[in-house]
Amino acid sequence: MEALEQLIHAGQLSPVRDRIAAELEDVDTLCDTYRSRIYRYALLSLRDPDLAESVTQDCFLKAYKARKEFRGDCSVATWLTRIATNLIRDSTRSRKFQFWKAANATAVDAGAIADRLRSPGLSPETFLMIKEELQQLWDTVATLPGQQRIVFLLRFVEEMEVLEIATAMGLHVGTVKSHLHRALTAVRKAMEGTK
Amino acid sequence: MKTTHLSAWEHEECVLGEATPEMLDHLTECAPCRVEVARLERGVTLYRKAALEWSSECLATRPRQPHLAGRSRLPALAVRWAIAAAVLFVLALVPLHLWSPRAVQHTAEISDDALLQQVDEQVSVTVPASMESLTHLVSTESGSGAGAATSAPGGKDLVRTN
Repeated sequence: MEALEQLIHAGQLSPVRDRIAAELEDVDTLCDTYRSRIYRYALLSLRDPDLAESVTQDCFLKAYKARKEFRGDCSVATWLTRIATNLIRDSTRSRKFQFWKAANATAVDAGAIADRLRSPGLSPETFLMIKEELQQLWDTVATLPGQQRIVFLLRFVEEMEVLEIATAMGLHVGTVKSHLHRALTAVRKAMEGTK
Repeated sequence: MKTTHLSAWEHEECVLGEATPEMLDHLTECAPCRVEVARLERGVTLYRKAALEWSSECLATRPRQPHLAGRSRLPALAVRWAIAAAVLFVLALVPLHLWSPRAVQHTAEISDDALLQQVDEQVSVTVPASMESLTHLVSTESGSGAGAATSAPGGKDLVRTN
């Protein structure tokens, strides 16, 4: 916000707003720039590739429709994340999502992902240890309560700042930090389990 | 510098990048705390790598958003459809214009004029060049009722003089 105020005083807000407006107007470039990020966020939150795709498309459609309402008080990425967060929240409340979650049909094999990440120099013992650790972490993050998981993903996968996360989720900075600490406590316990 | 070990909450603060200078000083001196923070960081990094890998793999198998791409091309498509509709409209009007009564009448008038002109031309060239001088006579005499020009069957003109 301070940077924005400096821009206002310097009389440079108009070009910044114009640039953002142009960025929002060109939906193809907007998708090219942020699609992978929004899709990743939706995928990791929902763990369902089809639903994540649907949320991603809805996110860009909503953003395009509401582009005139964007005031420029945060970055476009944060604004898109806020829209995606609301859509993810709506999706997780749907009966279909609850059913598949209960059926555990969208479980992800973290072991297979670990196989693809394997470095050539790793010994089989070390690799097995890492594989087990990853599976434990994967399951732990999956079972975190909704907001804790989203905050964790935004901080450690999307590498957003605490203030940006607070803006994107409509939460206080203190609440975000509290969620992060709880999530990290769960992660630490999961890692202690694999010692 | 803190002499006791950092708490779990402080370890987490270090991972979150919110460590105070005092905590950082302690980390440089205390190996067990450093190991704890490093382990937590390693776990978070491992999760991030796996998440990015899974996400890129899923994304690579999905087609580009069709309806967004389609919507962005909407103006171009609309223009194309408008041009196509205009061409079809004009093409539909052409037969109507050609077959309208006024057009038919106009065409008939043109063809009548052309036919008369053709007959005049035919008549004017039916007198051979060698008999052209006689046409003057015929016209002079016929004017006094002394001669008449007739056309023989077969299109050849015969000049009869008295």
